[in-house]
This record gives sequence, C-alpha cells and structure tokens, in this order.
Amino acid sequence: MRRLALVLAALVALAIPVAAGAHATLKSVSPGFQQELASAPPAIVLTFDQIVSFPSIEVLDQKGHNWALPATIDDTIVKAAIRQLPRGNYTVRWHALSADSHVVSGVWTFGVGVPALPPTEAYGASGPTRTEHIVRWLYFGALATVIGALGVRLLCLRGLVVPPGVEKRILLIAGLGTAAFLELGILAFCMRCEDVLQLPFGKFLYGDLSPISGGTRFGTAFIAMTLGFAVVAAFVYLSWLLDRTDLLWPPFLLAIGFASGISLSGHDAVDPGSFWATELADWVHLVAASLWVGGLLALVLAVWPAGAALRVAGFVRFSRLAVWLVAITLGAGTYLAIVRLPHLHDLWRTGYGQTLIVKLSLVSVALFLGAAHHFVVRPRLERAGDTFLARAGRSLAAELAVAVAVLLVAAVLTDSKPPIPPGSIPNAAAAVPR
Amino acid sequence: MEPQAEMVHWLFAGGLLFLGLVLLCEVLVDEETWRKRAWRVYLWPGVAFGMGVLMWPVMTFFTNSAIHMLAHGSWAQALMIAGGAELGLARGKLHSRWWKLAIPIGLVVSGLAFLLHEQNPWFFARSAFLHHLNGWTLVIGSIFPFGLVWRPNSVVLRTGFALMFVALAVMLFCDRDVAPIFGHLSPLAGVPHR
Repeated sequence: MRRLALVLAALVALAIPVAAGAHATLKSVSPGFQQELASAPPAIVLTFDQIVSFPSIEVLDQKGHNWALPATIDDTIVKAAIRQLPRGNYTVRWHALSADSHVVSGVWTFGVGVPALPPTEAYGASGPTRTEHIVRWLYFGALATVIGALGVRLLCLRGLVVPPGVEKRILLIAGLGTAAFLELGILAFCMRCEDVLQLPFGKFLYGDLSPISGGTRFGTAFIAMTLGFAVVAAFVYLSWLLDRTDLLWPPFLLAIGFASGISLSGHDAVDPGSFWATELADWVHLVAASLWVGGLLALVLAVWPAGAALRVAGFVRFSRLAVWLVAITLGAGTYLAIVRLPHLHDLWRTGYGQTLIVKLSLVSVALFLGAAHHFVVRPRLERAGDTFLARAGRSLAAELAVAVAVLLVAAVLTDSKPPIPPGSIPNAAAAVPR
Repeated sequence: MEPQAEMVHWLFAGGLLFLGLVLLCEVLVDEETWRKRAWRVYLWPGVAFGMGVLMWPVMTFFTNSAIHMLAHGSWAQALMIAGGAELGLARGKLHSRWWKLAIPIGLVVSGLAFLLHEQNPWFFARSAFLHHLNGWTLVIGSIFPFGLVWRPNSVVLRTGFALMFVALAVMLFCDRDVAPIFGHLSPLAGVPHR
C-alpha cells in the first residue's frame, strides 16, 4: 500500500504542470539591456517564461534615487510605472519569487538621452576587490603557464630529441595551466557578477547573469575565452594521448589568439582614448610577457630536470627568444604607458602611475637577471656546457620569481583606472548635464 | 541565436542514450567480440569526452542563473575527465586501475551538482522531482563503475552501468515538457493537439 502511494505521488509530481523547467527565466525586458532611449520610458516591463510572485523593481539614478513605483503582475508580465526620468544613466534592479520558491534577481542598465553604461558600472557596483586582484594574478599566471609551456616545446625544443619524461612534464604543465585558466576565469566572472548584482552568495546563485555575459565586452570575452580554452584543453589532451607534438600547434595558436579577449575587454579597449592600436599593443604586450614568464616556468620545471645536453640547448634557444620577447614587451608597454599617462607627472601623482612605477621597478630587476643570463650565462654555457648549469638554474628560478611578482602588479594595474586623457569624455554618465 | 533549452536537453539526452546503448551492446556481445574492431574500444569514452567539450558552450551561453552555469561547468569537466581517463586506459597511456575511479567520482560530482542545484523537496514540483531523480540516479549509479574497478568483468555491474545512462537519458528527455509530444502535461507546451 505504501509503495503504491509512493508511485502515485511520483506520478502526480511528474504531472504537475507548473515549473516544468527550472526557476523563472526572463524572456524579454523593456527598455532593453543597455538601450539608449530618446525619451523617458513610462514603465519598466519584465516578461518571464512562467508566473512569478512578489516582484520588486527599482530604477536607480547615478545618485541612488529610486524612480520606480510599486510593481504589478499580469500573468507572466511584471510592470512598474516610473516617474518622468531626466536625461541620464539608470540601473534597474529586480527580484521576484519563482514558482519553485527561489528568489530570482537581475540587474541591467539603460540611458535616457545618453549612451547606457555597461551593467558592470551599474549603480551600487563597487569595482574590483583585493580578492579579485589575486584571482586576476593567478589568471594571468595560468595564461602564461599555457602559452609558455607550449611555446617552449614548439619553439625552443623544436627538432631536438626530447625524452618522454620532459614531454610528459611539459604537457602536464600546459594541461594544468589550461584547467586553472578555465576555473579562474569562471571564478573571476562570478565575482564580478556578484558585485554587479549586489547579492549575498545564496541569492547570487539564482541571479540572472545574461545582461553581463551577453551585453558587455567583459562577458563576451569570458564566453569566447572559456570556449577557446576548452578546445585548447582538448587538443593538449589529444596530443598526449596520440603522442603527436604537431597537435600542440592549434592550442598554442588558439591560446595566443584567445588571450586577445583580455585586451579587447580591458582598459586599452574600453577607456577614453582607446582605439585599435592600443588594443593591439595590449595583446602583443600580454602574449610576449606570457611567453617569457611561462617559458621560464616550463624551462625550470620541465627542461631543467632533464639531461645536460637538452638543458643547454633549451636554455640557449630560450635566451635568444627572450631577447625578442623582452623587446616586444617593453616596446608595447612603453607605447601603452604614453597613451595612458600623457603627462610625466601622472606617473607619481596618480594611483595608476604609482602602480606602474612598482611594475617597472620589478621589470628592471627581471631585466637585469635576464641580461645576465643572456650576456654572461649563455656564452659560458656554450663554451663550458654543463659545468655552469647548477648556478644558472638558481638564477633562472630567481628571474621567474620576479616575473611572477610583475604579473601580480600587472593584475592590480588591469583592475585600476588610468587617468582620463585631456579632451576625452570620461564616460556617458559624467557627460550628462545635471 | 541561442538554441532553446529543451533542444539542448534533448541533444544531451540523445548522447547519453547512445552511451548507454553502446555499453549495453558491449555487455550483450561480450568484450572479446566487441573489441574485434579496434575503434570500438574508444567509442564510449570518446563520446563522453566529446560531450564534455560540447557542454562548455551550454555553460557559457545559458547564464540565466549562476547556479545553472556552475552546474553545467561541473558536468563539462566531469565528462571530459572521466572520458579522458578511460581513453587513456584504452590507449595504454595510463596503466593504474585507479584511473577507473575517475568515472564514479565524475558521476558523484555530477549527481551532487544536480542535488545542490535543487533545494526544494522531491514532490514540490515536476522539475524538483526530476532534479532529485537525476541526482540520486547519478550518485547511486556510481556504485556500478566503482565496483568495476575491482570486478571489471562483472556482467551485473556492467549492465547496471549501461542501464544507468539509459535511465538518465529518459529522465533528461522528460526534463522539459514543452514539446508537443509531452504537451498534455503542461500548459507551457501550448494547446493540446492530440
């Protein structure tokens, strides 16, 4: 009898018509995500895929004043009338109780008479935290690990007899770097979204991330880079499975290509004064630095434990490559610094400039070590072979440690705002006459 | 641009059904016959790995809630790791039998993602029921591949492992009832037409 009751209950549960999918999902909104309106809208309208209850809608201006009246429900449509909005940028924050008892939430922006700010700059979003700096640092480290490990294998060890142990270590480093890059990318995206949504973690889990993932450069970059690096992971794995080194070329090129997502969504793409050359310079800077730092890591962890002949050959070839990488990194970095800091005094007067000074100081130490490797160690290694190797290993590790510290400062720099160039319009919101 | 959620559910249900049927065929014809064609050894792990790669677009394009995004991400990784470990064993690149634990661990992680995903009780609603059913099928079903680590030739365990995928596929096909074929169950499917 009890068994029969359970079976019947299961069938009833299956037949319950409501909430056939999961929780309620937004089908459309008016005004649209980041829409620029010529005149103030009479109401905010949200259309869901199923009935919701207890909705709340806020329309916040740049000072945090709410312009919305209480929300009403008509079947799956939630509407809130709004008072006459003056020109400016507005943030819509909404919450509703889904039929499955979860509170779903979301945020988006629109502009009246001005271009809308991206949702990442919605009212209430506080910007990157210290934890986000750390996550971004690790993210840069993971990117460098992937590009560097694949670069060392394909460029520095090309044509050499590579023992299986070294091959395995390089692939392991590249694989772990790819996995870390994917995980950290998801973590960084969630942290940014949590800040934009302004929700505690339990409620954030039911937050709608689509205005951020689909409507911002940051979100688009997250999607593209996640997909790109999933393919990178598959290729690295297949290279190991099939013992095919040539299969490392596609992931190497993909990793370099998809690294552009960081440049196309960062300061050098979205801030005033940015244009295609700054985006390109940022990407070149990032790739060259990643190959340099990641290459050092692969050299220390994968090639150094191998036989002396491979160590010497790997070191000499990497040293030659590093000269170009350092030149490219410095050239692109100098150009970006000039664009970002038009006045010399910006270097010590602005937070961005001060962070840049710290970065440059660390880069100088790394350059000193790199120069010692290139001009002192490399000629001796070519002459004396293995006898000089033990000391070189330690100084390589030191160069790597400094380079990793440079990445940390680079992460802070990426998350901080450079000064606004003279004559530029800082952003749409600031340009609005009050 | 985005495909409808039910389409994606059905595509992955199709993939799981294929996995289950391949494993069932292997049990029915016995391993020796199955391996007469070398490529067949790689068939199910390769499909699982490929499904893992294909789960990434699902994760990135369906971001209407953070919890769904994270759950899809965990399934993508579980499928890639479990399929990848099994491919490594089939190819002879991995030798330790402990790599076989990647499958039960992947199933447990996937099941927990389903259960954490749904915080309502079993009979709260249809979706809650299916989430619990999927989650517990994966968690309890992990017993089969777990047992196969020690008893790789057990017909009972291999059959159970295969049928678990078939059951999961059926549940995933039922997960969304907005198709006309399931239309009588929900008003979301529109006017009944049969």
